[in-house]
This record gives sequence, structure tokens and C-alpha cells, in this order.
Amino acid sequence: MTLFALFFYLSTTFEEVSALFDGGVTPEFFPRLLLWVIGVLALLLPFEHAWRVARSGGSGDSGLEEDRKGMVKPIAYITMVVALVIVGLAEHLGTYLTLIVACCVLPALWGERRWLLMAAFGLGFPTAVMLLFTQVFKIYFQPGIFGLSFH
Amino acid sequence: MEPVIEGLGLAFSLNNIALVMMGVLIGVVVGALPGLSSPLAIALLLPFTITLEPVSAICMMAALYCAGTFGGSITAILINAPGAPPAVATAFDGFPMAQKGEAGRALGIAAFSSVIGGLLSLVVFIVATPLLAKVAVSFRPQEYFALTVFALSMLASISGRSSLRNLIAGGIGVFIATIGTHLSTGIERFTFDIPELTEGIEFVPVLIGLFAVSEMLQQSQAADKVLERIKSVVVKLPSRADLRLILPTILRSSGIGTFIGILPAEGSTVAAIMGYNEAKRWSKRKHLFGTGIPEGIAGPEAANNAATGGAMVPTLALGIPGSGTTALILAALITHGFRPGPYLIQETPHFVYAIFGAMAVANIAFLAIGLLGAKVFARITLIPRTFLWPMVFGFSMIGAYSLSASFFDVWVMLVAGIVGFIMRRHGFGAAPLVMGLILGKMLEETLSQSMVLMDHQWWHMFHSPIVCLFFGLAVLSLGWPAVSAWRTNRKAKA
Repeated sequence: MTLFALFFYLSTTFEEVSALFDGGVTPEFFPRLLLWVIGVLALLLPFEHAWRVARSGGSGDSGLEEDRKGMVKPIAYITMVVALVIVGLAEHLGTYLTLIVACCVLPALWGERRWLLMAAFGLGFPTAVMLLFTQVFKIYFQPGIFGLSFH
Repeated sequence: MEPVIEGLGLAFSLNNIALVMMGVLIGVVVGALPGLSSPLAIALLLPFTITLEPVSAICMMAALYCAGTFGGSITAILINAPGAPPAVATAFDGFPMAQKGEAGRALGIAAFSSVIGGLLSLVVFIVATPLLAKVAVSFRPQEYFALTVFALSMLASISGRSSLRNLIAGGIGVFIATIGTHLSTGIERFTFDIPELTEGIEFVPVLIGLFAVSEMLQQSQAADKVLERIKSVVVKLPSRADLRLILPTILRSSGIGTFIGILPAEGSTVAAIMGYNEAKRWSKRKHLFGTGIPEGIAGPEAANNAATGGAMVPTLALGIPGSGTTALILAALITHGFRPGPYLIQETPHFVYAIFGAMAVANIAFLAIGLLGAKVFARITLIPRTFLWPMVFGFSMIGAYSLSASFFDVWVMLVAGIVGFIMRRHGFGAAPLVMGLILGKMLEETLSQSMVLMDHQWWHMFHSPIVCLFFGLAVLSLGWPAVSAWRTNRKAKA
């Protein structure tokens, strides 16, 4: 509902257009219609929960909480942050180096400790991927600060 | 006749067969790996097919789609870990049969049933697609609008725990499609002065994020999980006695699967579950289901693969995806510059025949691969997750970037992945969001055009019987989950 309110407010900030140009269908018409639909459906969610609990035959389990059972493990949040950092670095490091970083950091983060295998993977996979995509698919990748490029 | 020859010629060209075989191999591998799925593989593959001929690219994806559905059953049977959601029902009887020391027999039944289901659905595909397209050519914007509403309403009954959450996710997808410049007025909407957003959000990075990155975050919580080592197994084709047992089930499930596939949004998972339930309902030995009987494998396998052919019918004929995976194939068509729908069939009729040929080759190829290589593919589960998912992340970054050589798309992919992970956690699936995203533009365009055509008197829409039919079906599909739950409840009480 917060998002509904935010986007509804944003839809009031659209530039105004002459009725001659909009053909009667203003730019905010469809997003607002959609926001109303989503808003109404969101308001029904607690009722769905209550209805399912009532149908559960006294177990009190709506069956809707299955995905939320148990806490999210910290590793998921750490992976999220690491992924954000990796993508943030990509523009500066260049694609090849970024891939090497990702292929070394993520396995280590997830508990991999076979260092030789990790080194082979961290170097082998990015090199193979870069060769494939620069030479076969002719895609241009940013060389980054060290100018590492396969072109 | 010319389009048939041209299309089949394309499908059976050496280059195309090589790509189809590659699609089958990728499909079986990702299908066999729990966590990886054919939508994820298609999302990752999509940016790399841009350099291919459009027909070849779509044929490769169609082959991957068929093979991915089958691949999931290998691990479902051997280690009770369905590689993909459509294979869940296969594990009910497949795994018990494997435990009795008959894994080869179970795999053979699964492969055979899948192939027959797939081939039968292709017959329906090739007959129904041009016919449906012929009907759809006469559709006006209001009819298309009603059809799109119906397709979105079907999200209420796709698999998942909550119809409401599916509908909300679909609505969010449609909403994301409104970001960018409004077509008829040129006004920017929700762009936050970010220049890259003026043309809207690209499908592909969102799809990669939703399917690949969100799954990686999910899998990060089970990185240390090790799957059971597969024992050596020789796959056997069904014996005569088995054939007698499973043929009626295969035929029935193929029909069910094809029909479910043709319905917008409904995919292989729903088909497989219905195939299993119907196999049980019609069986004289219901009590043996779940203990490892051939019909329990043939039912879901024939149905889930038949749904692949069925799902291609509305995708190509109407531009309305028949399942989550075909939504990605639809995105690929759009990315390759096609406008899916009846005009695609009218203007490039050979296209349908090429896809038909490719899917037929894929079905036969995965029978061979399934028989010869099930043991090898099953061992793929031994790839450590600590290397597998960083690889997926690497491909995701490259894929999102390579589409328009823009780091902005990589950010979109990552944000979509994180949002997808949070949404999944709260019971909102990725597939409904993707359906909404892909249908969003069509929904807005057809509504705007209808409003202009009808001089803003929207109720004039109901003068068209086709509109009434689609809205009626939409009401039915919205109400069905509640009616079905009420009936189940009543049965349980009785």
C-alpha cells in the first residue's frame, strides 16, 4: 500500500498534455488504473489469509507461509552485498577482471576451500567465457583500468 | 505447401540441427540440475542468440524448452530431487520404482512417455496454430484487450500457493511495463530523470535477474548441500507388458497436457499434476500409486511434455504466452524484432513449420540422449554448487551487459534479482511477473486504441461476442480457485 501511495503520487507529477494530443487517454490513466487494481488485490490479502486459516480445519496453518518458514540465512544477504559490490566495480575493473573477482570471491564466500581448484576455476572460466563472447559473438567488453581486453 | 518446405528445410539444415542438439543438451543438463530450470537457461541464452538467425535462435530455445522438461525427471527418478517443477509428480512413482532397483525401467518409461506426449502435442500445434491465427487476424483492439485480460486472469490458477499473490505479481509486471515514454503523448513516466529509462525497461535483464540471480541468492543458503551419488544405471525402453499398461495413460495425459498448454499462462507443472491425478483416477489399481508403478510415471511425463507443444500455440498464434517458459520465448521473438501474433503467421508462415521441425527433432534427440546418457546427466548433480552458481552469476552479468553493451542493464538485472528473491520469500512468483511484463505493453496499447475507437464509451466493448467470451472466461478463471477450494473442502468434510 505504501508503494501504491508513492507511485500514485508520482503519477500526479507527470507533465500535462493538451487534450488535442492525448486522444482522451492521458499518460497517467493506465498506471493509475493498474495501481487501483493492485491496491484492491493487496487489500484482499489479509482476507485470503483468514479464509485459508478458517479452512485449515483447526490447524491454524494458512499454507501461505511455507516460503517464509525459517529465517533468511545471513549468507544470502552477504551474497547480495558482494554481488552489488562486484557489479559496482565492473565499470572500473572491466568485464574480464570483474568475472575473475566474482569467480574467486563467490566460491570462497560459500565455503569452498579447495584452493587449487578455485584458482583454476577463477582464471579458466572467465577466460573461456571472454574468448567465446569476444571471438565468436563479437561482443565488445569494457577493458577497464588495466586495459585487459580480448579484442 | 511452399512455407512447409521452406520451414522444414530451415529446421533440418545442418546448422539448425546442430543448434537444436545444443539446445537439447543444455536443456537436459539444466533440467537435471535442481535449481536450474529451462526458463533460467532461456533467459541466460537469450542475449547470446542475438547474433543468430532469428529462426535458428527460436528453434534452439524451443528445443531447450522440450528437453528441459524431460531433464528434470532424471534426478526426480534417481534421487527424488526433481530438477524442475514439472518433474515433481514424476518423483511420486519414479523414485519408489528406482528404489526397487528398477531405475532403468523408470527412466525408459519417462523418456518414452515424454516423447510420445511431445510428438502428439506437436500435431495439435501444427494444426491449431495457423487456424487460431486465422481467427485472430479479425480481432480488433478491444478483442485483443479482452484476450490479454483473460490471459492475465489465468495467473490466478497457475501453480503457486496464492492466486491473489500471482495476480498481484502479474499486476506489478504490467506496471513495470509502463515505465518509460508514453507512446501517444511522449510524456515520461516513472523515469526519475534516468536517461536509460526513457525507452522503458528491457525485458532480458529483468528476466535474467528474476530467474538466475534470485535463484542464486536462494541457493546460497544451501551451498553445502550435497546430492546423493548416482548408482550406475542402464536405461531400458518399456517392455510390451509395460506398453500395454501405459499407452492409454500416455494418450489421455497427452490430451490433457496439450489442452493445459494451450490455455494462456498454464504450463507444464499444472499439466503434470493433472496428468498424474487423472492417471490415478482412471486406474483400476489406484491403491498402488505412489509405490512405483509405470502409469504413475507415464501420466505426468506425457502431460508435462505435451504441454510444451500446446503452450506454443497461443504464443505464436496470438502473442499470448502459454506458459512461463514460452513467455521467455515470446520475449526472444520481440528481441529479435518480430511482432508475435497472427501477423507473424501470415507474414512468415514458414516460421511455424521450422519450430515444429525443431521441436520434433528435439523430442527424438532427447529420447536418444535420455536412453544413452541418463547416467552421465545424472552425475551432473555432483558439480559443486560453490562453482555452479558463480558460473551462473558470471553468465548473468555477461548476458545482461552484452545486449546493449550497457552496465545499466547489469544493474537492472541485479536489482530484479534481489527484488525477485524478496518476492519469492513472500510467495510472489517470478513467472506471473514475467507474464505481466511481457503482456503489459499490449494491454495498455489495446486499451488505449479501444477507448479511442469507441469514443471513450468503454461499455461498447461488450457489443462484441468475442469480448464477452473472453471476459466471461476471465471471470471463470478468477473464480475457479475459490470454487475449487470450496469443493475440496466440502469433499473433505463429507
